[in-house]
Amino acid sequence: MLTTFLDHQRKAFWRSRNKAGSIAAQIVLVFFMLYFLAVAIGVGFGMTKFLPKFFPGQDAIVSFNGLILYYFAFDFIMRLQLQELPTLSIIPYLHLKIPKRKIIQFLNIKALFSAFNLWPFFIFFPFFFIKIAPAYGVLTLLMYIVSVLSLAVFNNYLVLYIKRKSIANISFTVIGLAIFAGFAALEYYKVISVMAASNFVFSKLAQYPYIGFVFTLLALIIFKINSTYLRNNLYAEELSAGQEKKVSTDYAFLNRFGRVGELAALELKLILRHKRPRSAVFMSFLFLCYGFIFYKESVIAKNAFGQMMFAAIFMTGISIIIYGQFMFAWQSAHFDGILSNKINFKDFIKAKFLLFTISCTIITLLASFYGFISPKLLLLHLAAYLYNIGFGTVIVLYLATLNYKRLDITKAASFNYQGTGATQWLLMFPYVLTPILLYVPFGIMNKPYLGLMVVSLFGLIMLLMRGFWVNYIVKRFEKQRYKIAEGFRE
Amino acid sequence: MLEIRNLQKHYGGRTVVNIPNLTIRDGETIGLVGNNGAGKTTLFRMLLDLIRPDGGEVLSKNENVAATDQWKDYTASYLDEGFLIDYLTPEEYFMFIGSLHNLSAAHVADYLKQYEEFFNGEILNRGKYIRDFSKGNQNKVGIAAALMQKPELLVLDEPFANLDPTTQIRLKTLIKSLKATHRLTTLISSHDLNHVTDVCDRIILLEKGVVIKDFKTDENTLKELEAYFSE
Repeated sequence: MLTTFLDHQRKAFWRSRNKAGSIAAQIVLVFFMLYFLAVAIGVGFGMTKFLPKFFPGQDAIVSFNGLILYYFAFDFIMRLQLQELPTLSIIPYLHLKIPKRKIIQFLNIKALFSAFNLWPFFIFFPFFFIKIAPAYGVLTLLMYIVSVLSLAVFNNYLVLYIKRKSIANISFTVIGLAIFAGFAALEYYKVISVMAASNFVFSKLAQYPYIGFVFTLLALIIFKINSTYLRNNLYAEELSAGQEKKVSTDYAFLNRFGRVGELAALELKLILRHKRPRSAVFMSFLFLCYGFIFYKESVIAKNAFGQMMFAAIFMTGISIIIYGQFMFAWQSAHFDGILSNKINFKDFIKAKFLLFTISCTIITLLASFYGFISPKLLLLHLAAYLYNIGFGTVIVLYLATLNYKRLDITKAASFNYQGTGATQWLLMFPYVLTPILLYVPFGIMNKPYLGLMVVSLFGLIMLLMRGFWVNYIVKRFEKQRYKIAEGFRE
Repeated sequence: MLEIRNLQKHYGGRTVVNIPNLTIRDGETIGLVGNNGAGKTTLFRMLLDLIRPDGGEVLSKNENVAATDQWKDYTASYLDEGFLIDYLTPEEYFMFIGSLHNLSAAHVADYLKQYEEFFNGEILNRGKYIRDFSKGNQNKVGIAAALMQKPELLVLDEPFANLDPTTQIRLKTLIKSLKATHRLTTLISSHDLNHVTDVCDRIILLEKGVVIKDFKTDENTLKELEAYFSE
């Protein structure tokens, strides 16, 4: 039976309508996966080297032990946001002559097929074999493995249980991240140390290997709770997300923009009431950390803005890039309604510009904390911001008129590549290369600030030309609307 | 009101719509009947400028619908759920549609009061988004939103499908009374021959995109249509 289920799953995956999507998207996805795997393995092997550097004067094993609980805390929060409930797939089986036990088994096994359950193998195992095994011997090594896998399983089913009880929502994740950051800060200022606690637990494991089974026990308990809950609530409507009362809302601050504001409010609701665009917004905030990778002291000291331009454009313009890449397709479900109603296309396009400008402004303001690293970065961000709202918006909307792929926004976001086509990937090139190319000549001439000014000026001029661009996009839209509508109807 | 000239649409070498000439006068209630694939919905989509015709044109009040936006001022339509913004509550949706026609929130609320009976207490203040309603209730929202626009031309694609019997009858009464009071021109497609012959005063029968019958309804119409479809 179980194999039949899994076989159906396999078919569902390979035969899904949008799977074929585009080969390019698939290839890029594979590259991403390989990249993440490589990173995980790199972290795994590198830990023997990194740890003594990050925590000088501390034994690598002590630091490692200290990080395990942190890892799983973070893992838990990320799972809350990203892990999917394997629910919908069972509906066709519920009314058939299949024992509930079997269906639950299937759900439980299917839940294990999550990327989150894969990372521990790559991140922890190298260190286990390199450091732990020589230091404590084979038994401890085995128990470390048992503990870490048990913790992964524990997290896996705990998150599913929480999600099934539909206690979690996005604010949960945000609060979780805040608590996590709080503990990290307390750790840093040596008030409370989770690391010490984590180390305490795992150094005990080295002494008495068998206490590792405590984790296994915990995992079994949560597994049991989860299964019992499933057994008692095996109804499709109870297993999917909880129903809360929906209310009508009005965004007063958008009213001043008249009809354009109304359309923007409509789109804002679209974003907030669907999982996929909502996760896109969530991701935008995560990308605010991008600067920590690119803004290195040496680079800032050299005023090498060219190297940092990419990060700046990407961070401040992330909402435009992520949301804009599926522009119009977000509304594919009611595109006919938009065309046939009394909506002026010009207002429609202007609403997009308005939304982009607002979101980009907010993100740029948030990103201004990089000013603490160096005030120069604020200048860089200003240039990037002007470019994004001036010209980035135009690129995105122009390419949107070439996008005919329907998007089902009710589906989840992570690793969902429906609606992704070559356009989405091509988007990045003109978007990011334009400002860099504008800057490069001045970078070479060693006039970095002049370069920033040129980029800003370019953005500003484009911003002043917005009226022209709006008309231009409207013309394109009018020409393309039949094709777009046809694509969205499929 | 509407004039269709040499309208043609092909998909993959197959003709889906081919109408050399068709005129619809003010105040007529037209029933469009035909089996699946007869081209009813395609024709409606071309009337509403949602599909580009391969040839010919649709004139609404003598203006080509593909060239201008004027017709949107007096045309309201509901073809399928694709016309609804399904992540809004019905109230928000009505407000939005109302605002497009410069109706204030009070106006919309006032208007909705008239339709309490039509909604049968199932639409308003239910605390649900449109996507969470049943198909029949979604239809009700779409139809009510179309009627709210006080159109001169109303286009409905299979409005009776998915509606419960009470609402079907109420909808028929509604269309008949609007016709009397506002000289509303209506285009309805339906598979329910009883309803079409009851509510419409002119029937157009499509087969493979071609108009094969076009006549005023009288007491024999239903029999005639039944005879045609049972062949």
